[in-house]
Amino acid sequence: MELNIYAYKCKRCKHVQYPYRTICRKCGDNDHNEFDIVPMSKNGKLLTFTHLFTLPADYETSSLILGIVQLDDGNRITGQLNIDNPRIGMKVKGDVQIVRQELYEKRLGMVFSKT
Amino acid sequence: MRDVYAIGIGITTFTRLEYPLVEIAAYPGLMALRDCGLKKVDHLYVANMGSGRVNNQTGLASAVVDHMSLTPAGAETIENGPASGASAIKQGYLAIASGMHDTVMVVGAERMREVNNLDATDFVATLTHPHAEYIYGVTLPSLAGMFTRLYMEKYGITSRHLAMVAVKNHANALMNEFAHLHQPITLEGILDSPEAATNNPMVSDPLRFFDTCPISDGGACVILATKEVAEKLDKPKIKLAGIGQATDTHAVHDRQEPTDLLAVRQAAQQSFDMAGLKPNDVDVAELHDAFTILEIVESEEVGFFKKGQGHIALEKGETQIDGKIPINPSGGLKAKGHPVGATGVAQAHEIVTQLRGDAGERQVKNAKVGFTCNFGGFGNNVVCLTFTREN
Repeated sequence: MELNIYAYKCKRCKHVQYPYRTICRKCGDNDHNEFDIVPMSKNGKLLTFTHLFTLPADYETSSLILGIVQLDDGNRITGQLNIDNPRIGMKVKGDVQIVRQELYEKRLGMVFSKT
Repeated sequence: MRDVYAIGIGITTFTRLEYPLVEIAAYPGLMALRDCGLKKVDHLYVANMGSGRVNNQTGLASAVVDHMSLTPAGAETIENGPASGASAIKQGYLAIASGMHDTVMVVGAERMREVNNLDATDFVATLTHPHAEYIYGVTLPSLAGMFTRLYMEKYGITSRHLAMVAVKNHANALMNEFAHLHQPITLEGILDSPEAATNNPMVSDPLRFFDTCPISDGGACVILATKEVAEKLDKPKIKLAGIGQATDTHAVHDRQEPTDLLAVRQAAQQSFDMAGLKPNDVDVAELHDAFTILEIVESEEVGFFKKGQGHIALEKGETQIDGKIPINPSGGLKAKGHPVGATGVAQAHEIVTQLRGDAGERQVKNAKVGFTCNFGGFGNNVVCLTFTREN
């Protein structure tokens, strides 16, 4: 089964938001949880990135590349990059993988690579 | 609403402190009481971000009010991330302006070095969005790194500009006995020489070691009071003339224009409007430079310089102590240190010191209007304060 990251489409104004918030950011007029859950696009362009060398204690690697991606569906997402030499504006494609291994739990999130 | 004045101040050295958090809070409180000659206050606010997580101590204000033998005065802990300090000052202002209290002690205190650097970084990272940021390993330095890369691309800021902020603030901190880092640095040493890569390793590119603030322990205190109380003291009258606060999206990627810090812009505007002043009336400012890029960008967003021009003003020396608008004469978070919950109070401490004319070697000449910007999250909760000297 293909894993996705989901965004939240307001049933009243159709605005799509990610991450989830109880009330729609655009119309502010929906009832609690009045959203359709929609899978986010996995393709997009790299908006910015950083190569981080001081990681939280959960990580066993020495560094991590993080980025913000402008997805083709208009949403933005923060994710990890599996790209050696990232450049602003490059096309990337995402895949849902383990992004953090906590003591008792594996966290899933979007990892982007070159298209 | 009644006018509110800052009548007493106190601070610890910012460094690694080997005594308990309650004492880190109590010591500057005691200094501030001595400074204004009061023995008691009506109320205590304690600004702190991490005592429950880092120091295994909750209910901090209750511990501090008893430790200082100020009971039965009311006491509350204020937690608003790295903006806790200015938020607590805002609460103190409201308590006095409303007529509820006449004297309020605002203490900010943090003991972050009780844990190692990895845990301290992770503790601060818990303020990022839990599902959209934190799970990816996002930390505050990484948000600042991504922001800096965009800012460089859009406005032509270079690593040299960032290093210039660090050099300036380290030089200022040499004149501040309470600063964490008493370490003169040069552009050659951290940028140009062959040793620079070793001296100044990458933390979250393009941000290097000397672009980030240290992890500090420390406490600071400001006592606020009514005009009647302030007039009885033989000290310059420093009025808390303006307060502004604004918030922004929790996840940084969710902001329409990712190079804007809208909450800074709005909080500063509110603070100036309340004081009836404009950015160019400010004589001295303490801006929240947890990362060097932030001093430059905040100097634009609060209105000292046009958007994209902050680094040009820095190049011209306009933000030096003898410049047009001196920024971070204390050394800023960069070199004075950043005990997160204490920082907003420490910024106010520096401004009161400057407006009183007590800042010694780092004194800004004829400072009559001072301004602070306390930046919570990565710009998602910002509190700005404007102080004026009345006599």
